[in-house]
Amino acid sequence: MEDQKKDLETVNEDELFHFVEYSPDAAETVSYSEYSYWRSVWQNFLKKKSAVVLSIVFIALVIFSFIALAIGKYNYQELIPDSTKSFIAPNAEYWFGTDNIGRDYWCQVWYASQTSIKLALIVALGECALGITIGCLWGYVRKLDRFITEVYNIITNIPVIIYMTLIALMIGQSFEIMAVSLILFGWLVMARNVRNLVLMYRDREYNLASRTLGTNIWRILVKNILPYLISVIILRLALSIPGTISMESTLSYLGLGLDINTPSLGILLRNARSYFLDYPYLLVFPAIIVSVITITFYLIGNAFSDASDPRNHV
Amino acid sequence: MFKYTVKRLLQSVVTVLTVVTIVFLLLRMLPTDYYFTEDQLMKFSEQQRTEQLEAAGLLDPVPEQLFRFYGQLIQGDLGESRRIQNGVPVTDVISKKFGISMQLGLISVAISLVVGVGMGVMQAKHKDRILDYTGTAYTVFVNAVPPLVSYSLILLFGSRILGLPSMYSSRNAGASSILPIVCLSLSSIAWYALWTRRYMIDELNKDYIKLARVKGMSNKEIMVKHVLRNAFVPLAQYLPASLLLTISGSLLAERFFSVPGMGPLMTDAISRYDTNIVQVLVILYAALGIIGVFLGDILMMIIDPRITLIDKEGGAR
Repeated sequence: MEDQKKDLETVNEDELFHFVEYSPDAAETVSYSEYSYWRSVWQNFLKKKSAVVLSIVFIALVIFSFIALAIGKYNYQELIPDSTKSFIAPNAEYWFGTDNIGRDYWCQVWYASQTSIKLALIVALGECALGITIGCLWGYVRKLDRFITEVYNIITNIPVIIYMTLIALMIGQSFEIMAVSLILFGWLVMARNVRNLVLMYRDREYNLASRTLGTNIWRILVKNILPYLISVIILRLALSIPGTISMESTLSYLGLGLDINTPSLGILLRNARSYFLDYPYLLVFPAIIVSVITITFYLIGNAFSDASDPRNHV
Repeated sequence: MFKYTVKRLLQSVVTVLTVVTIVFLLLRMLPTDYYFTEDQLMKFSEQQRTEQLEAAGLLDPVPEQLFRFYGQLIQGDLGESRRIQNGVPVTDVISKKFGISMQLGLISVAISLVVGVGMGVMQAKHKDRILDYTGTAYTVFVNAVPPLVSYSLILLFGSRILGLPSMYSSRNAGASSILPIVCLSLSSIAWYALWTRRYMIDELNKDYIKLARVKGMSNKEIMVKHVLRNAFVPLAQYLPASLLLTISGSLLAERFFSVPGMGPLMTDAISRYDTNIVQVLVILYAALGIIGVFLGDILMMIIDPRITLIDKEGGAR
């Protein structure tokens, strides 16, 4: 304090303030901050060491699932049931042992985890695209509100298991059918979340201003409103991936999901249900891999959604 | 309040009717082959099959079937099961099954309420310490890992190490219900813990808590009388629905442990073209869900006198 006072006394006032000369160049320059939304998201994400480690684990696991299939001694397509080789405990030849009909378990487990990841990613992206589009229209276009709300109520009031059973019985069971039907009944949650947020931001002053200036709907939705929704969308996306893997395993276990020839987590555990009490390795290997996939994705999603919330950016 | 209740009741009736009509129409899209067992499909000639279907009224035009169904509903006749239990009234089929589901379900709701809320309270009290992190790890695990995997792990642990029966049997109902109940409680414990913790931490930061501290109230008193009561209000809304829906059982858990309950009935009935059972179940579940939400609103109003239903009516959902 004392020093500052002394400084001020010694400085001449004319040195502190002086007129700036008019320069046409300087008048034209626009000041802008270095802020970039996605870079801030990325920086915030990198700050969380645990999230970074988890992402690396997840990516490494996905890459390894390809390597694992390549270095395995058996090819999934060429597995032959051989009852003399059933229930061999893990050894140098069969790294994860063999199942009840003597097929190599290593390649089945890795193939199944790939199927699960693939299905989950496709469904998550599909849900996102459909959910955001419908959610935006639902929230923004007043005329559609009534109609979409009714459709939403009807679809959610009927248990999903009815749709799934009917689809499995009428259309059939395959990877594509499963993906499409999960998307068709999965967009609802995303759409409702998006709709509620769009309703919140729709009539803010800056949107009113945009509308008065004649900006078209799509531009308002994409440029003015969507950025506010990104963190919610990412959270939903990240939760939907473990959700889809759960749904797939449950449905396949019940015989309503993937067909029996597509190895997936549900099918593996369904086949192993009667045996894994005596041969725990049949459960332990797929359980560990799937748990790592779902837990890492769940945590990464949470971290990324925090990082993408503009309110957390400094 | 009375007017509001009547209005809401009428709306619910319309919803239930719409839902059951849509399910009715969806079911008629199934190929009629599912009406027969595989044996019958092999043995019966085309003519015999048509005769059977005609006798059951399944070949009439769909609108006619639908109006017949409405007529029966008005008379309170819910029809008979065809394939699950031949010729037995649907109500009997259901009444025999729902007891088991409800018993397991209610025990599990009680357990998860006590354990889950307790866990949430402890987490909020010891925020950012080991106990809190352990609880969070549990909720993350339960939410992320597919239930099929966690059920299998529980089964493996419970039957290999604790020696509990791996299948439900009515002869040994006590011991063999332990694992299904644990599995049913798993996710609801996590749910109660997660939200109790969240709401309690929100409440703890409010000004009136500071005032209570300044007044010299003990920590325990603040926690129970103020924080928990306020934090429980949003949770209370779901309680009646979760109690009522124990009737419907759990599809996966009951299949997994071979519990002869309500859970698998719906899918079984669909895959065997037992349309009457499906329709009754749909009406039952929709009605239970709607009543549950209504009771939840009333319970919330009782716990928190500031909330009134009439105001909510105008608000956006």
